[in-house]
Amino acid sequence: MDFPIFHIDFIGNRMLIAFDAILHVIINHALAVGALPVIALLEHTGIRLKDPRWDTLAYRLLKIIFIITTTVGALTGVGIWFSASLVNPAAIGSLIRVFFWGWFAEWIVFVTEVSLIMAYFLSWQSAARSAEAKQKHLHLGIFLAAFSWITMAIIVAILGFMMDPGNWLAERTLISGLLNPMYFPQLAFRTTLAMVMGGMTMICLTYLFTRNDFGFRASVLRLVSSWSIAWMLALVFASIWYYQVIPQHMFANIPVAVTTQEFVSWNSSLKWLLIVGLSFVGWVLWSSVKHPGTVHGAKYIASVLLLFAMLGQFERVREFIRKPFIIGNYMYANGIRVEDYPLLQRDGILQHATYASIRDITDDNKVSAGREVFEQTCTRCHTVNGINSIRSQLKKMYGDKLWQSDVIAAYIENMHGARYFMPPFPGNKAELNALAVYLSTLQKRATAFNGVQINGIPKPDKISAATFYGALPNLDAPHGVQK
Amino acid sequence: MNAPIPRDIPLPLPAPEGLLEVLLIVSFLVHIVFVHLMVGGSLFSLICQIRGLKTPDYEKLAYRIMQTVTVNKSLAVVMGVAPLLIINTLYAPQFYASSALIGDMWMAVIPLVTVAFLLAYVHKFWWNHFINIPELHIGIAALETALFLFIPLIFMTNVNLMLFPEYWPQVKGFISAMLLPNVLQRYLHFISAAVLFSSLFFIWWTGRKAFLQEAQFSKLRVIDVRRFFYAFAFGATILQILTGLVVFATLPAQGMSWGFTLLLMLGGATALPAIWWMWQNLTRPDHLLDDNFKKIMGCFVGAIIIMGIARHDYRENTLADHKTAIAEKTANYMAAVKEAGEAAQLAAKALEGKATIPGESEFNQNCAACHHATLPTVGPSVQEIKAIYVGDPAGIAAWTKSPGKKRADSMSMPGFPHISDDELAAISQYLLNH
Repeated sequence: MDFPIFHIDFIGNRMLIAFDAILHVIINHALAVGALPVIALLEHTGIRLKDPRWDTLAYRLLKIIFIITTTVGALTGVGIWFSASLVNPAAIGSLIRVFFWGWFAEWIVFVTEVSLIMAYFLSWQSAARSAEAKQKHLHLGIFLAAFSWITMAIIVAILGFMMDPGNWLAERTLISGLLNPMYFPQLAFRTTLAMVMGGMTMICLTYLFTRNDFGFRASVLRLVSSWSIAWMLALVFASIWYYQVIPQHMFANIPVAVTTQEFVSWNSSLKWLLIVGLSFVGWVLWSSVKHPGTVHGAKYIASVLLLFAMLGQFERVREFIRKPFIIGNYMYANGIRVEDYPLLQRDGILQHATYASIRDITDDNKVSAGREVFEQTCTRCHTVNGINSIRSQLKKMYGDKLWQSDVIAAYIENMHGARYFMPPFPGNKAELNALAVYLSTLQKRATAFNGVQINGIPKPDKISAATFYGALPNLDAPHGVQK
Repeated sequence: MNAPIPRDIPLPLPAPEGLLEVLLIVSFLVHIVFVHLMVGGSLFSLICQIRGLKTPDYEKLAYRIMQTVTVNKSLAVVMGVAPLLIINTLYAPQFYASSALIGDMWMAVIPLVTVAFLLAYVHKFWWNHFINIPELHIGIAALETALFLFIPLIFMTNVNLMLFPEYWPQVKGFISAMLLPNVLQRYLHFISAAVLFSSLFFIWWTGRKAFLQEAQFSKLRVIDVRRFFYAFAFGATILQILTGLVVFATLPAQGMSWGFTLLLMLGGATALPAIWWMWQNLTRPDHLLDDNFKKIMGCFVGAIIIMGIARHDYRENTLADHKTAIAEKTANYMAAVKEAGEAAQLAAKALEGKATIPGESEFNQNCAACHHATLPTVGPSVQEIKAIYVGDPAGIAAWTKSPGKKRADSMSMPGFPHISDDELAAISQYLLNH
C-alpha cells in the first residue's frame, strides 16, 4: 500500500526469497555452524596425535568452507535483505524497527565472524612455525565456531518472532520479542540439526579427500561420526520439543503446507518419512562409528541429501504455518496490518494505496480496477501465470466451467474461513466485485503482469500527494484529522 | 511538491534519529573505504598483470595486490550491512520505493557480487594454474574488474533515486533511473576516489618492511612500484577535484544550502595541500619519498569525513519536506485507522444484541466460500446438499469430519479440525432448514 509494488510474474516473489534463503540456510548450517567445530576438532586431534595428515585435511576442508561461505554464503545472506525489502517492504521495515538493535548486534558478531574466518584460514600455514602459535591458532578456530553459532542464535529470535510474537503485541519491546515462546525450542532444533548436517558434510568431503589413505580415512570417519551421532541424539529430543510448542492454531495449517490439499493424509506419512530419514542417517553414522572403513560413500552422500531435504521442508513448513500472517497477529502476508482492515474495508483499499492509479470503480473500469486490487492485495504471494499462479488456482477450483465473477466474489469474501492460510480480503464490496471480474477474465486471456520495476508508478494524484484524510474524494464518513 | 507521499512504517524509531544518523555516517564511511580498496585493488591487479606480460615482476605484484582484494572485498560486504540496516530504518518510504523502481537490477546485485567474488578467488587461488595461458587469466581478471566497476553504479543509481521522489513517476526501470541528473557524475567521482584511496593504501602497503620479502621481485625496485602508485594517487586527486566540481555544479537544487556548500568547499580544500605534498614527494630523491605521507593521509582522512557529513547533509536537505509530509500523513492515517476501528467495534457490538439463527454465522465463515446457495461452484450447491442429506444432519457432520473427493470434476474438500461438534451440528441443521 505504501510502497511501489515490485513483482516478477514468472518465478514469483515468494520463490525469489525462498530460493535465496534456502541456499543461505543450507550453507550456513552445513558449512558454517555445523562444520567449523569439526575443523577445530580435526586440528585439535592433529596437534594431540602429532600427525600432520589431520592438519592437512582440516586445512583442505576449511578452504572449501572459506570459499563458499565468503561468497555464496555471505551474499545470499545479504540477498535475503534485498529480496525481502523488494517483496514485502512493509513487513521487513516493521521487523527492522523492532529488532534494530538485535540486527545491529548481529552485525557486530558478523564482522567478528568474517574477520575470524579470514584470520583462521589465512594464518593456517604460518601458524605451523611453533607449537605455541599452533595452539593460538586452534583457539581462533574455537572462537570462530562460537561466533558462527551466535550469529545464528540472534537471527533465530527474529524468525521465532515472526511465527508467534508472544508478549510483543502487548509490550512492543525488543526483549519481549526476543524471548518469544518459539525461541529456545527452535534454537535447540537448528543447533542440533546444523551440527549433524555439518558433521555429515565434512564426512563426505573427507571421504573424497582420503582416497589414497584408507587407514587415515577410517580414523577420521570414526571421530567425526561419533561427534555427529552425539548431536543426532540431541536432535531427536530437540525436534520433539520444537514440535510440541508450535501453537495449536498453526498446527491446523501443517497438512496444507507440507502437501497439497488432495493429500492431507500425507502429513502423517511425512512425519514417518522424517523418522525414517533420520533413522537412516543415524544408521549410517552408527555403522560409520563401528566399521568406519566399510561404509560406502554413496550412503554418506544420500545422508547429506536427506538432511538438506529435511531442512528445506522444515523451512517451508515454518514459513507456511505462520500464515495468514507475515508477522503473527500483527500483519497479514499481503503486508497489511490487522489494524488497517476496518478502514480499508470501509473506504476501499484503492482510496488509501499511495501508488494506485485508479481510485473509484465504475462500470467501465472494472477489469483494470480489479487488476489494481489484485496488485495491491494478491501479488505478494500469487502470480498471474507463473509459480503459484492465480490462474492455476482458479482452474483447480472451477476447471473448464465458466468462471463466474459473482461466484468468485462469494468465494473470496469467505475464503479465509475455509482456507486458514489466506488473509481476509482487505478491500470493500465494490473492489471485491471488480477483483472477481478481473479474475474471471483470466480464464480466456491474461496479459503479462509486471511490477513497477518495468511499468513505473503513476503520476501522483490528489490522494497520493495529500497528507491528510479529511478531504479525500468519495470518503463518505467524516473521519481523519482536519488540518 | 509534486511527489507521491507514502506513509511511514507506523512503529517508533528504535533510537533517537540523531544517533542513527551518526551511526549511518560512520558505518558508511568504513564501508565505502573498503569498497574503494576492493574496486581499486582489482583494477590495479589487472593493470599490473597486463604490464606483467612484458615485465614479469609486475605479475608478482599483481598477485600480491589480489591477496589484499580478497580480504578487502569480504570486509566491504560485511561493513555494508550496517549502513544498509540504518538506511532501511531511517528512510524506509524512500529507500524501499527507489529499490522497487529499479527492482530487477537491484536484485541482480546479489548474483553479480557473488560471481565477481568467485572470479576473484579463481583469479587468486589458481594463480599458478594459468602460467601458460596468461590471456585467460587476464580475461578472468578483466571480467572480475568489470563487475566490480559496474556494481557501484547500481548502488549509486539507487541512492540518487531515493533522494528525489518527484522523479519517481518518470522512472521506468534501471536505465532511466541511471540517466537521472547527477548519477553518472557521482559515479565518476566515486571511481576516481577508488583509484585514489587504493593508491594511497598500496603506497603504505608496499612501504612495509615485510613487503620486499613477500614480493620477491627479481629486478623491479620497490621504490619504483611505490612511485607508480604515487603517480596514480596524484593524478586521481586532480581528477577527484575536477569530477567533484562537476558533481557540485550539476547537483539538483533541491538539497542545496549555504551550509552544504561550505562543507563541500571545506572538504575539497582539505585535499589541496595533499596535492602539493604529493608533488614534492614525487619530485624528490628516493629516500625522501615518504616524507609527507602522514600529512597527506591526514588531509584525506579529514576530507573523507567532511564529505561523508556533507553527503548526509544534502540528503537531509533534499528529503526534508518529503519527510515532514510523510510524518503528517502517517499521523493522520493512524487517526483514521483508529476511528474506523472504533466504529467497526461499535457496529459489531450492535449486531451482538440481535437474535441470530444458530449455525448461520458458522456456515458463512466456514462453508459459504465453496458452497453457493444455488450454483455449483467449488463444491456442490446448498440445494444439492439438501437433496442428498434430507433428514440426515448427522450425515453432513460425519462427512465434514472425514471429507474426501466425490466428484470427478471438483477438488477434494479439506478437513475442518477447528470446528467443534456442537458447531458442526448447528451448521448441519442450518443447512437443511434454510
